[in-house]
Amino acid sequence: MLRDAVIDSLLAGLVAALLALPMIGFRLVDSATGLSLAPRLDWVAWAALAVAAGRFALNLARRALAGREVPAPVALLSARLAGARPAFGWAMIAVAVALPFLANRQVVGIATLVLIYVMLGWGLNIVVGLAGLLCLGYAAFYAVGAYAYALLAQHWQLSFWVGMPLAGLVAAVFGLALGFPVLRLRGDYLAIVTLGFGETVRIVLRNWQEVTGGPRGLSDIPRPTLFGLAMPPEQRVIFIYFVVLALVLVVNAVVLRLRRLPIGRAWEALREDETACRSLGLDPTLLKLSAFAIGAALAGIAGSFFAIRQGFISPESFSFMESAAILAIVVLGGMGSQIGVVLAALLLVGLPEWFRELQQYRMLAFGGAMVLIMLWRPSGLLSGRDPTILLGGRK
Amino acid sequence: MTGGPLLRVEHVSMRFGGLLAVNDLSFDAEAGRITAVIGPNGAGKTTLFNCITGFYKPQVGRITLDHPKGPLLLERMSDHRIAAEAGVARTFQNIRLFPRMSVLENLIVAQHTRLMRASWFSLAGLLGLARYRDAEAQAVATARRWLDRLGLTPHADEEAAALPYGMQRRLEIARALCTGPLLLCLDEPAAGLNPRESAELNRLLIDIRDQEGIGLLLIEHDMSVVMGISDRIVVLDYGKKIAEGTPDHIRHDPAVIRAYLGESEDEDLPPEVAADVGEGDPC
Repeated sequence: MLRDAVIDSLLAGLVAALLALPMIGFRLVDSATGLSLAPRLDWVAWAALAVAAGRFALNLARRALAGREVPAPVALLSARLAGARPAFGWAMIAVAVALPFLANRQVVGIATLVLIYVMLGWGLNIVVGLAGLLCLGYAAFYAVGAYAYALLAQHWQLSFWVGMPLAGLVAAVFGLALGFPVLRLRGDYLAIVTLGFGETVRIVLRNWQEVTGGPRGLSDIPRPTLFGLAMPPEQRVIFIYFVVLALVLVVNAVVLRLRRLPIGRAWEALREDETACRSLGLDPTLLKLSAFAIGAALAGIAGSFFAIRQGFISPESFSFMESAAILAIVVLGGMGSQIGVVLAALLLVGLPEWFRELQQYRMLAFGGAMVLIMLWRPSGLLSGRDPTILLGGRK
Repeated sequence: MTGGPLLRVEHVSMRFGGLLAVNDLSFDAEAGRITAVIGPNGAGKTTLFNCITGFYKPQVGRITLDHPKGPLLLERMSDHRIAAEAGVARTFQNIRLFPRMSVLENLIVAQHTRLMRASWFSLAGLLGLARYRDAEAQAVATARRWLDRLGLTPHADEEAAALPYGMQRRLEIARALCTGPLLLCLDEPAAGLNPRESAELNRLLIDIRDQEGIGLLLIEHDMSVVMGISDRIVVLDYGKKIAEGTPDHIRHDPAVIRAYLGESEDEDLPPEVAADVGEGDPC
């Protein structure tokens, strides 16, 4: 037993040494003769030693705890949260409303971005979490919304309150345009086509110079006004924050309601078993198209928020990484869970923005968090599903 | 109503590549009667069901349903329209519930078409109008009635996947009944049930026939079920109808006995199959 543990930790140390050699084993030296590499083998040795020791300790701990049930910390935490879910939701709303009065402008800016991602997460949740249609090109709808709003505002001087719903509508039309060709596809095939769709939209935006400004993007997007009043930047950040917050709350109410309506249950039924759906008279075409259209409309509205927050958009803001991040928010949050998505958005968007100085480790932390959560909570932070209707009492 | 049989299948053939799964089949199913389709494995029973419910499109033949609003040609309708408009509901050989939804939700989804209309395609529902609330209460009442009759009421709010096998079978039948069908097609409803559950199923099917007045079409292997409750039996073998009649008649039909017990090997093979066998023969 002990021998196994020793061998295991030595192997782990060896692997760590191999990995550490290219990563931290050399240093770039800038001398008079030019750049050269200086070996730094002591670092490699320390890394290998640390991994071996850690692995050994882990093995010992595992043996000591063998046979005893040790609840994973994340599971414990999310069970607590799930128990107090309604109260937790209200508490979050209270914090969100109070935030601009407590924090500085930078924090409010980040919070706005988090809210935009919450909205994107809820939109994608309808497509992926409820209807079960894996979509890897969701950022395309986000981009369509942002560009639609920017172009409408620049060319026709439409105000934000007219431009935003129109941006949602344009994105919904794109959702239908994607929906039609993929009606017959499922699972992996659907994922590949939506991935292609996302890239297509981005590349069109980059190359259609006359309309989208190409890689330079669109700048000087008109900022929203309140009854025709322009605002100084200080107040504007807070104003935009409150607008986004209010709309996010409205969207939350609508989505929660939709889930308890026939259409919401039918989406879930579609995710569970499409053949059974058809045998009960549910039209899969309508269900898929409506899921795509509503999901895309939410992304389009989120896109218009993004455009007014930044005042500048370019195709690079809507790359595949963006789609992947939104999908990660949905998966980590727990498919079909509203508050889970909020938590995941805070974790995946809020924290990295907050620790911008550590930007080079961002993707590392992102990947690490993903692995840990998938180990501890394979179905997401908050994944419990309550029936949408109860016998003998409306839920 | 035109006074004819509820379902009339005429000269239906369904071919998959070289395999003729259903071969020039004709029979009728009446309202208020239980019609059973039996036959050895691979006789084309499930294929026939898939043709009637629109999951397959037969290449040849006509399937007519005598709907109160006028006869409907099922072979021209898509599967979900057959369920929604013609009122033909079905269950599956391997149970197909919505496993992660509750028992009640399964039954509410079955009433989707009606609810969707009542909610003005979600608009009335979003606004919380009384019109939708009434429709939903009515849907729950319908679900409740079937839950009570099938003894599933105590489990109404549980996840469907958590039910024991026998209850899942009953839930699938309840779900099909919640669509308010004219014709209910059951694909091996007794498969995997123990004798007691099987006897309960018999009583249930007879109840449904007598009280709802709908037509039941049944594929079954369990002879105690078939012989006990069927009003009429259609026997298939290699996609062809080899006999049709009352249970007593079928029990003594020589062709049926031959199909089930076998006589000599490839004597009765259809010419296509015989040709295939001949080609593949190494001798």
